[in-house]
Amino acid sequence: MSDLTEHGPMAESDAPIPVANIDDPHLREAVADPHRAERSIALCLFLGIVGVAVFGAAYWQNWKPWTLGLSFGAGLFFIGFGMSAWGKYLMPQGPFSEARHALHSSRAERDAIAAALVERTGVVVRRRSMLLGLLGGGMGLLGIVSLFPVLRSLGPLPGTTLDKTNWRRGSLLVDSNGRAIHRDELQPGGLVTVFPAGYQNDPQSQAVDQVVLIRAQTTALVTEKGRGSWAPAGYVAYSKVCTHAGCPVGLYERELRLLVCPCHQSMFNIDDGAVPQFGPAPRPLPQLPLYIDGSGFLRAQAGFDQPIGPGFWERS
Amino acid sequence: MSPVTLPRTQRQAKAARGPYGRVGQVIEELDDRLGVAKAGRTFLDKIFPDHWSFMLGEIALYSFVALMVTGVFLTLYYVPSSTTLIYHGAYTPLDGQRVSEAYASTVNLSFSVRAGLLMRQMHHWAADVFLGAIVIHMARVFFTGAFRKPRELNWTIGLTLLILSLSNGFIGYSLPDDLISGTGIRILFSIVLSIPLVGSYVAFFLFGGSYPGTWIIPRLFIIHVLILPLIIIGLLGAHLFLLVRQKHTQFPGGGRTEDNVVGSPMYPTFMAKTTGYLFMVTAALVVLGGVAQINPIWQFGQYQPDKISYAVQPDWYMGWLDGALRIMPSWEFTAFGHTIPFVIFLPAVVFPGLIFTLCYAWPAIERRFTGDNEIHHLLDRPRDRPKRTAAGAAVIGLLFILLGASATDVLANFFQVSLNEVLWTFRILVIVVPIVVGVFTWRICLEMQGGGADIGKRKRAVVMTRSATGEYTTSETAPHSDDQREELEPIPVPVHIDLESSDTGDGSGVRTVSR
Amino acid sequence: MSRLRRAFSSRLVLPGAVVAGVAIGAILAFGGAATGASGASTYEPSASDSAIQYQNPPRSYVPAGQALFATFCSSCHGTEAEGTYRAPNLVGVGPATVDFWVSTGRMPADNPDAIQAPIKPPKLSDKQALQIAAFINSLDPAGPAIPKVNLNGANVADGASIFALNCAACHTITGTGDELAFGTFAPSLRSATATQVAEAIRTGPANMPRFTGNLSNAQVRDVVAYVTEYIQHPSNPGGFALGGVGPVTEGFVALLFGVGLLALIGYWIGERS
Repeated sequence: MSDLTEHGPMAESDAPIPVANIDDPHLREAVADPHRAERSIALCLFLGIVGVAVFGAAYWQNWKPWTLGLSFGAGLFFIGFGMSAWGKYLMPQGPFSEARHALHSSRAERDAIAAALVERTGVVVRRRSMLLGLLGGGMGLLGIVSLFPVLRSLGPLPGTTLDKTNWRRGSLLVDSNGRAIHRDELQPGGLVTVFPAGYQNDPQSQAVDQVVLIRAQTTALVTEKGRGSWAPAGYVAYSKVCTHAGCPVGLYERELRLLVCPCHQSMFNIDDGAVPQFGPAPRPLPQLPLYIDGSGFLRAQAGFDQPIGPGFWERS
Repeated sequence: MSPVTLPRTQRQAKAARGPYGRVGQVIEELDDRLGVAKAGRTFLDKIFPDHWSFMLGEIALYSFVALMVTGVFLTLYYVPSSTTLIYHGAYTPLDGQRVSEAYASTVNLSFSVRAGLLMRQMHHWAADVFLGAIVIHMARVFFTGAFRKPRELNWTIGLTLLILSLSNGFIGYSLPDDLISGTGIRILFSIVLSIPLVGSYVAFFLFGGSYPGTWIIPRLFIIHVLILPLIIIGLLGAHLFLLVRQKHTQFPGGGRTEDNVVGSPMYPTFMAKTTGYLFMVTAALVVLGGVAQINPIWQFGQYQPDKISYAVQPDWYMGWLDGALRIMPSWEFTAFGHTIPFVIFLPAVVFPGLIFTLCYAWPAIERRFTGDNEIHHLLDRPRDRPKRTAAGAAVIGLLFILLGASATDVLANFFQVSLNEVLWTFRILVIVVPIVVGVFTWRICLEMQGGGADIGKRKRAVVMTRSATGEYTTSETAPHSDDQREELEPIPVPVHIDLESSDTGDGSGVRTVSR
Repeated sequence: MSRLRRAFSSRLVLPGAVVAGVAIGAILAFGGAATGASGASTYEPSASDSAIQYQNPPRSYVPAGQALFATFCSSCHGTEAEGTYRAPNLVGVGPATVDFWVSTGRMPADNPDAIQAPIKPPKLSDKQALQIAAFINSLDPAGPAIPKVNLNGANVADGASIFALNCAACHTITGTGDELAFGTFAPSLRSATATQVAEAIRTGPANMPRFTGNLSNAQVRDVVAYVTEYIQHPSNPGGFALGGVGPVTEGFVALLFGVGLLALIGYWIGERS
């Protein structure tokens, strides 16, 4: 024991340390009747034990998630409540304080470090500006080159990928099961999602080639000047990729003749070339020109006349 | 220094331990090796202010703990791969369908792993609550001016934590590769694409090619479980370290000054309260995870680029961006062979950039406008800084209107009004509401400032009596017994609490001993 | 020898015939491949098969139907169902259309000027709906007839996939329905019978597209099975479904019950002054 007072850390100061006392009005528990609080907290902790035990049983027996959740939640809650109540009601109630020593060091200490930095750097670089320049150049080049894994290894470069789809002259329209679309297939008011034949199962082409084919009427539909032959027998085809943010425009309102994009509610009228009537889409949906081949199946006259989907810097 | 010889008998051992028993002996051994006794005692004496609003950050911290624990469980089952397979499992409407391994593993986790669904749902609820707690904690820090010198660095760290957590949450719920979160990834691609000059390059670099590709799921996975959590944990450590080093702020009054910290000592009071809070936060998340279904991906099906659902919103903390996308007018600028889709670029890239820049710069802005470069450890009451409070309220109003704007279709359906009208309403509200909220808040602050010293005290009831002649007189009731509570003078943490002795010495109630 | 005989007696006839046969066979085969695995090029919507039986209501229903029509429908649709400025022409719409609108309670409409008639408790019984359908069909017989869906052998996985591609865009992937453009809406699918779902798919009521040739009876049956089983009775193993609209309600719950409740608990733990 004598070892402690001689060598322990507390022996550094002999100043009296304030000690509290039961009569000290600051040091009572927060509640008037601590025993009652103790009983309530004991009950809480007991319920917590029950909850956790039930959770253990429920887990072992593979019961439903709601039993797992409620039992474990109740168990944890009561244990936690008991702990917090113990801390709030049964511990010595303050308020206690400590001094907030100024964070900053003294003027001498600040000057010391500043001096070390400035003077020692001065010693190192005095009349050695060429070395410094070389070092700086090396660091700079290193910094640039260290970006190369992010800039050059990642790829591929976009190239013209964003401008193109797989639709060509003569592409046969097929649905997601690969069935070709015959002119008698849809009644006015029908719609189907189509792809160029052979591409319907590839996610890469699903993303850009997807076209919504709508039979608006039984006679040819002229959506814009110069597109008289684009929608034979009332079959009109638009790129399904919204020109706003790329969501598939699958929502068609038959009587309003409106394609609505479910993401941000851009609305496109199919009668005038899918020009956006409402909502944020900035451009019409590109229209795919169609024709009906000798066997009565729908095919594309050509690819799209512009890149599909949302805008990007290289889009002209 | 420990005794030169090791004790031989039980009585020698007991004597060697000293007055503090085995605990003292452990301290002895640790201190011999690590020298932690003094720092340890200082740590146990640390005072934490008790105000309830200081506990909001703890909700965030403990939700993050829950996220990590449940997250580890999820990583044991989730397969981060876009390779497809034919699903054969517990959920019949998927049987025989071609799905990605990521999706299949998530469905299997939900249906076939014991407590898997509970863990998955708890993880998702914890993410939503985590971000809500960060936001409310950040609001408290902002409105009380806790970001002022010397805590600007901590504000910056906290803001960075917010941005990283937002990103990690979005990435996290996109990992199952389901129809709804996949739509969000498609929109992410379009947003990156909209950046002028470098958009298409960054988009192709991130996705490993054109959309969708097979790289994005594995890359998002490693970002979600390794890269961002590492940075978040590091910054969180720095956030808490600064808090301990600079000590917590406190409200004025009750003996609190710029030179002290008044509250509960770390051990045992604060530890008890905060550990209890940890349990209760976890409990809330467990209950939510068990009884409230969230993100039922088996109903949504595997993501396919040509499929889409209606009523697609991102999780709430991304709602402000989705709302901005919905209400933005359709501006796109095409000239000289190039296009800048402002309709996407402004709301999804520039706008959040501006908001976060404003938040990062706010301590500097306030220093500039108030000319105040003093150290502050005492907090402001929000009403005492009407301009700051009004500015913050206006921004919060703006963000909540945008959050509401992301639910235009759901709101239109719920209230049975036209979708188009709802959208135009939000376009108007997004301008009007921040201004109105800002002005109202400013005026309310000014009026509340006139409250005086009895703000917060129990109000005295005013009794009106009518005399026989019909006159009304008013009188205040007598003060309530609790109003007589005296202002307590804080005292330093006691060394030794002696509940038995009644020797008060100088009558102050404090007994001193010398060692 | 005639020119004809000389032509057929040539040494090139047999190989020529073989080549021609192979060429015709190849053209048929490729043409068949182009139309896809199923072979048939169109689906006749009213052609019954094992998946769906289309039946017209019995002719004996017509007089009763005429009387009901006169009472409940003619004020808006005209005495000969020819339509007025308030309601469309019903001649030739087919019995499935009429049965759908009446048996779901949309018709008779309470407010004919509403943009879209909502579902409500039907005013007329199912038999009365069929009687009116018989009457309308008698004016001008047209398809589709009332579909009786045979759910045996339905493939709900195919149904789910078709639902996600064609239906979820308006009705949402959980079938809750949502608001569309200019006051129109896609209704919730929770209360539709199997027959009503099939009728809606084949007839495309109001703004709904008409799925005729591009969905076979088997595919419609699969969708009907998926809707009546999994959309209307989701297992919801995770607990309360919170309305099935996704992150909107989830966000509410997280902020109110998550953060809000926990902040209240923090309020209890901490001090107030």
